[in-house]
Amino acid sequence: MRFHVVKRENCPLWKKLGMYFLAVAAALILGGCLLLAMGVNPLAYYGRMFTMGMVGNKIAYKAFENYLKVFAPLALTSVALSLAFRMRFWNIGGEGQFILGAVAAATVAFKLGPILGEGLTLVVMCLAGMLAAGLYGLIAAALKVKFGTNETLMTLMLNYIALYFITFLGDTKADWNFYLDPTSVRPIFGRFADLASFPKIPIGKFGLNICVVLTLLVGVLVFVYLKYTKHGYEIAVVGDSTGTAHYAGMKVGKIVLRTVFLSACLIGLAAAFKVGTAGILSTNITDDVGWTGIIVAWLSQLNTLAIFIVSALISMLHYGSDVAAATFSQVDSSFANMLQGVILFLVLAADFCTRFRILPVQKEGANNGNG
Amino acid sequence: MAEQYAVEMRGITKTFGSVVANKDVHLDVRRGEILALLGENGSGKTTLMNMLSGIYKPDRGEIFVEGKEVSIDSPEDAKRLGIGMVHQHFKLVDVFSAADNIWMGRDKADFLLKKDRYDQIAEVAKKFGFEIDPRKKVRNMAVSEKQTLEIIKVLYYGAKVIILDEPTAVLTVQETAKLFGVLRRMKAEGHSIIIITHKLNEVLEISDRVSILRKGEYIGTVETAQTNEQQLTEYMVGHKVDLNIERPVVEKTRPLLEIRDLTIRNDEGAIAIDHVNFYIRGGEILGVAGIAGCGQKELCEAIAGLRPIESGQMIHKGDNIVGLSPKAIIEKGIAMSFIPEDRLGMGLAPSLSIIDNMILKNYRDSKGPFVDRKVGRADAEHVIKELGIVTPSAETPVRRLSGGNVQKVLLGREIKAGPNVIITAYPVRGLDINSSYAIYNILNQQKKDGVGVLFVGEDLDVMMALCDKILVLCYGRVMGVVHAHKTTKEELGMMMTGALDLTNKYEDKPAGIARDTNFAPDAAAGKEE
Amino acid sequence: MEMDKLGVVTTFVHNIVVYNIPLLYGTVGEIMVEKSGSLNLGVEGIMAVGAIFGYIVGCYANSLAVGILVAFLAGALCGLLFAALTVSLQANQNITGLTLTTFGLGVYFFVGNGVKAISWPAMNDYANIKNGFADIPIPGLSQLPLVGRGLFTHNLLVYLAVVIAVVMWWYLRHTRTGLRLRAVGENPGAADSVGINIKRYKYAHICLGCGIMGIGGYYMGLNMSGSFSSSCWINGYGWIAVALVIFANWNPVLAILGTFVFGFFNTLRVSGSSLAAAFPDVLGWLAKVPSQLYQALPFIITAVVLVATSIRKREGSGLPASLGLNYFREER
Repeated sequence: MRFHVVKRENCPLWKKLGMYFLAVAAALILGGCLLLAMGVNPLAYYGRMFTMGMVGNKIAYKAFENYLKVFAPLALTSVALSLAFRMRFWNIGGEGQFILGAVAAATVAFKLGPILGEGLTLVVMCLAGMLAAGLYGLIAAALKVKFGTNETLMTLMLNYIALYFITFLGDTKADWNFYLDPTSVRPIFGRFADLASFPKIPIGKFGLNICVVLTLLVGVLVFVYLKYTKHGYEIAVVGDSTGTAHYAGMKVGKIVLRTVFLSACLIGLAAAFKVGTAGILSTNITDDVGWTGIIVAWLSQLNTLAIFIVSALISMLHYGSDVAAATFSQVDSSFANMLQGVILFLVLAADFCTRFRILPVQKEGANNGNG
Repeated sequence: MAEQYAVEMRGITKTFGSVVANKDVHLDVRRGEILALLGENGSGKTTLMNMLSGIYKPDRGEIFVEGKEVSIDSPEDAKRLGIGMVHQHFKLVDVFSAADNIWMGRDKADFLLKKDRYDQIAEVAKKFGFEIDPRKKVRNMAVSEKQTLEIIKVLYYGAKVIILDEPTAVLTVQETAKLFGVLRRMKAEGHSIIIITHKLNEVLEISDRVSILRKGEYIGTVETAQTNEQQLTEYMVGHKVDLNIERPVVEKTRPLLEIRDLTIRNDEGAIAIDHVNFYIRGGEILGVAGIAGCGQKELCEAIAGLRPIESGQMIHKGDNIVGLSPKAIIEKGIAMSFIPEDRLGMGLAPSLSIIDNMILKNYRDSKGPFVDRKVGRADAEHVIKELGIVTPSAETPVRRLSGGNVQKVLLGREIKAGPNVIITAYPVRGLDINSSYAIYNILNQQKKDGVGVLFVGEDLDVMMALCDKILVLCYGRVMGVVHAHKTTKEELGMMMTGALDLTNKYEDKPAGIARDTNFAPDAAAGKEE
Repeated sequence: MEMDKLGVVTTFVHNIVVYNIPLLYGTVGEIMVEKSGSLNLGVEGIMAVGAIFGYIVGCYANSLAVGILVAFLAGALCGLLFAALTVSLQANQNITGLTLTTFGLGVYFFVGNGVKAISWPAMNDYANIKNGFADIPIPGLSQLPLVGRGLFTHNLLVYLAVVIAVVMWWYLRHTRTGLRLRAVGENPGAADSVGINIKRYKYAHICLGCGIMGIGGYYMGLNMSGSFSSSCWINGYGWIAVALVIFANWNPVLAILGTFVFGFFNTLRVSGSSLAAAFPDVLGWLAKVPSQLYQALPFIITAVVLVATSIRKREGSGLPASLGLNYFREER
């Protein structure tokens, strides 16, 4: 029997979810085999990972707080990236935009923190982070609009330029460099947590960081923005067909610039949240959210609600494996990266089954055809 | 089996998702004959041939080549079996030379590329009776050159069965005649040729037999010598169709849109429209005829404000519209609907719903930052009812609709806005006859309402029946404006190819300049025609 | 004194080559992949996988050839994964590539730390590897003043990289399979219609290209004398290679030149201070330039090249027309 592949019109949601679930399960089984080979009970390991060490833990609320610290920047960055992706603007420059946003927010904290008071400082930090990241994102957008420069490759380059910029700040001991800890001889970033730090809403012992609430709020706003506003409508049309957008009298260049700016701004906001919570800069401040966010946005098919669910799951994987690594010392922490890779590979494969159908070729109808 | 055919297809069925493109189709081709595969657009001709050339795989059915059952899983298999296809959209690598485009598919060739391949290819081409420059890059070629290259390519690979998909669509009358000469010669050499077309005159002229498809189903095969246009049309559309398109007589108004001395460049920077003059009155349909790619697209885009002009004037009701934004032009009541080859490229957002497509041009009208979809829904439901659009709901994405319904959505929206000038390009492209007539009726209704219609078309028969006047373009230049009921197809054909220039037919009145122009009077002094 | 200065320059030139040849491997491999129409952002991960397996197996076998072969195969296997997902299963190339990077780095550390926990093979213990990686002066040319030692006294893998680049240039330009490969990358529909087996071409060249990247990773490991630490041997070279492909306009021979240019800045970062010390009057300012600027320069230059080419929209761009797009024959 021969087979051939045809496109599937639309796959029901439950089937899609089922496929993805199977893919994840298969990946976990593969990882489990590896764990067994290392002499680790996979159930124990996964149990630890998925509960993130919260079960039977007296300070479980702490673990959850830490988990949210991983989740919020990822979710916000993914939401932000989805804005640009909707217009088929492949902004893979989340990393660079995040870094510049973080540096700008830290600048405000160091320089204005002592003057403005904490509340105002935090607001200005957010604004500064958004502006810096937004402008950085605007570079690639402007070049794309003006000259048709490939934005994927351009934002990729900008990521590394930003990365070496922050490395430069972190490694250079100099009088002007107020980012560093003045008391240390070796160059290390200075803390500003006492100047500006996002407050927590106490719920019992658990402190809900205000950034998490704001992230959820931004998610809702973005959802409304995309679905119900004129801007959102324009984004949908431009993403679907630029020719049609021009024809309808939309200024496509302006819409691209505006949306990419907004997208990068939100990444900057995520960065401001992150530094405002950490209270210190770091060369790996991004925690790779710029990269992971691309994957999250794509997996969620740019659906805002799905982005929150997927980023919650991916954060669980990241944070949980850190926790598990602390318990199971024989499992290297890089296991999480491998596991994540395998999960994604299998999800990509499962995605194929939701978009295509494999059919056997039938051989009949030769002589019975008179209809 | 009485006769051994070069190719025989039996019981072929092919579906794309829920769409049945071919249903239990039979087809056979003799050696040394030209078989015309006739059918309307969307009747499954190309799909069927794509299965013969290995692009698609049939869901079921059998294919025999020289009496042996074969399985064609790829173009490679087709090539090995001596089947070659010249696709409607040429399959050529733009950055390669003519020779390399052929060379890349050669089976037995040296591992190394040598310079003498150019001469070899030129020589072989000559043997087949073609002159080509083997070093010329495809992107610098004219359409007819590309087609020639495709034919040489297929012959070079030793095809015995040659399939041509709508080969005349992009050719001038003269080029078509030349192509037919080539086909007859190939037939004499023993090749079997399948030519896909929906043009009856060409079928009668070139073919030995005609096989007809209708809506994916096989209708039958007839000897060309024993049939006529009327019968073929009947086979093609299923029932007799009134071939006469209505042309209501309407009181004309003063010119609504006047184009004077307009010059436009195309994307490559070449002159696409060259000092063109014409005008449209309210209550008339002005046809624009010309070979594909003669500046029609650029002209439409310029009027809609989508393309900057080089020089000239565009006057709408006495106001200059040059340099206005597309938005301002929409607000003046000029509606443009351009149906590109892929149907969805300009004018509609295919993934969005009918509602969202309805509000495309007026979504700004609502107050505040939010889109008002209530108006859109009302409009969508109105248009669906009025034009008989077949759709599950107003929320259905436009891409899920069939071609005719897509075009109705587009035209429906344009008309809904109540324009005074409608620019419509290829509005019946790819539609079946019934849908086409529905569109003609819509346009005629607009004409009766006093709207000026610019109809950029492909089918001369239709244009001669529908339009009041026809403007003929040849490589961006106006060859004249003729009355549709007075002209002949031959005359139009000659003008399209530049063989006949009627711009100065009347000494006192250059073509395309109205007597009662809104321009300053000095330019338009003239008498009766 | 004069000899010393010359020595500094020679060492400088020598270092440009020694430390940056992995870029050439990565770039040339990526050119091959991209010419088939696939944008593979997984170079970093693939080089890491090639590096770790090549190094460990090569040491255990005490054979440079085995190391090269294993590195190639490990890279090619990653390529196979990429091809299976993007060519057969139509997955998004950007996502697959990024995932491959995460996965590859995961494998690198997982295997590396795993082996380290038992016993890490030190390169100096394996004579064949050590000697195999030693410099081989090219007779005659290496005697040239100034550039002799800088350019013509190198280890086997350096020469191999240059040979691969030149052969690939010749392959793409002067062979029929190269012509067919370019057709696949430019217009797969056209290539398919003349009977070129698209899948076979894509699979073969993606695997081949990724295999070459793997060798580049192996080189990195050897050049670090196999000292395994918390930072990956590849350390961003994979990403620079992606940039270098653009800089070289998809031309393997230009990639040699590009490697030299990028390598020049890279080397200034490391040994700029020695140049400054040797020529305090002319080059003294070099000592003041922050090293991060040199690290960023390849990306800045590529960004500028990217903008410049998009402004000029010139004819000779080597960018394959269907780069990044998947091909599905039955697309309607």
